[in-house]
Amino acid sequence: MVPKQLNSKAISLMTAVNCSEMNISNNPVETLVAFSIGAGIGISVFDRVCGVGGILNFMLPDSTRANGVDPENVPLMFADTGVPVFMKAFFDQGVRPETMKVVIAGGAHVMDQTAAFNIGQKNFEALKICLAGYDLKTYREDIGGTSCRTLSLEIGSGRSCIKIFGHGEVKV
Amino acid sequence: MTDLNEIVEQIDLLEPIPPIAAQIMALAQDPNSSLSKIADLIRNDPALTANLLRTCNSVYFGLSRQVESVKDAAAMVGLDHIVRLVLLNSLSANFKKEPVGYGLGEGELWRHAVTSAHVAGMLADRFGDSQNKHLIYTAALVKDIGKLILGRFVSFSYEKINILVRSHGHSFNDAEQMVIGMNHEELGAMVGQKWHFTPKLIYIIRHHHLSDESARQDRETSLVYLADIICMMMGVCTGADGLSYRFYGDVLNRLNLSEKDLQSIIAEAGKNRQQMEILVNQ
Repeated sequence: MVPKQLNSKAISLMTAVNCSEMNISNNPVETLVAFSIGAGIGISVFDRVCGVGGILNFMLPDSTRANGVDPENVPLMFADTGVPVFMKAFFDQGVRPETMKVVIAGGAHVMDQTAAFNIGQKNFEALKICLAGYDLKTYREDIGGTSCRTLSLEIGSGRSCIKIFGHGEVKV
Repeated sequence: MTDLNEIVEQIDLLEPIPPIAAQIMALAQDPNSSLSKIADLIRNDPALTANLLRTCNSVYFGLSRQVESVKDAAAMVGLDHIVRLVLLNSLSANFKKEPVGYGLGEGELWRHAVTSAHVAGMLADRFGDSQNKHLIYTAALVKDIGKLILGRFVSFSYEKINILVRSHGHSFNDAEQMVIGMNHEELGAMVGQKWHFTPKLIYIIRHHHLSDESARQDRETSLVYLADIICMMMGVCTGADGLSYRFYGDVLNRLNLSEKDLQSIIAEAGKNRQQMEILVNQ
């Protein structure tokens, strides 16, 4: 199982992290950006000690509920298979869970979406379970609502930015 | 309230849809028409033929040998793909423009349209009637054409619309109607009338957010609606309106579509996204 790490399109020093992708970087002039996150969730992790940061942009909570799509081929599409791959990439670089700054954004829903069909909420619940497995707490969460979000991470400063159209942006 | 005549006059500024698209749509829905009739129609349009052959020979299809004629293409990739490629080719000129007002960049409305159509095609194969699959695909592709015109008026009134959505719980299309006096569904339906779309196609465009209760009983409209909300959930080029549209669980129940089905459709569409990019960029 080989994670897609470096196949996103780099435009100048901004690198897009598309849906079902992740990117890890230690380039201090690089900014990683996950655009237009809907019900999926973007998770940015930064470690100040090692100067390493990354974003995972997953779409669905549970790889066992995707008939016809083999999670072996797209592990980063799902929380349960994507988060372990993402975390391993950090651990391989010597990052420890206790020094990780974790920011999550996304999990939006359509208006009046009933709980059973609320994929955004299920993504959030699945992610919380995954993070608890590493004893990780989030530094900032911006979850739910009916807006798409853009999540970015400046590797140089370790600062994440959550942007919502018409609502401005929050830097953390 | 905006002068509605001023909005409607803008329809004439769109690139008119080539007549061949409507003819092929009609032939594709006629059980008595043959593949050769469609191939003959396409052959008479050199630009369309060239584009069609280019797409058939692209990595999208990954064919083992070069396709050199329309007949060849039809035999290799099948009628469904040929009809869809003709529609994509006929509509891309308008949709690739940058629509103001909805917070979308150049080409993003087109990317949303192509992805919606692809998802609608998947849904039609699973839950639809095979005779209507081209109608469902086409409706999903053109449903937001009204946004191309209404965007300018949305940008003038965005603050008011946003307050109605965020503070009063109105859907974006209802808020458009309340503030501007018209929403993108209605305006899209007017474009469809002007371009001589079939009454059913116009109906689906007019009701694709299912605000009208009777539309929720209509299978084709429901499938187009579902494709749209799946794309919103996937975050496919959603702009200022985001996911601010109503969810109707009874529609999914009526289609006998479970939450697991919904997840598997999103997964499959997500898996095909790179392939769809090839169609978006043709």
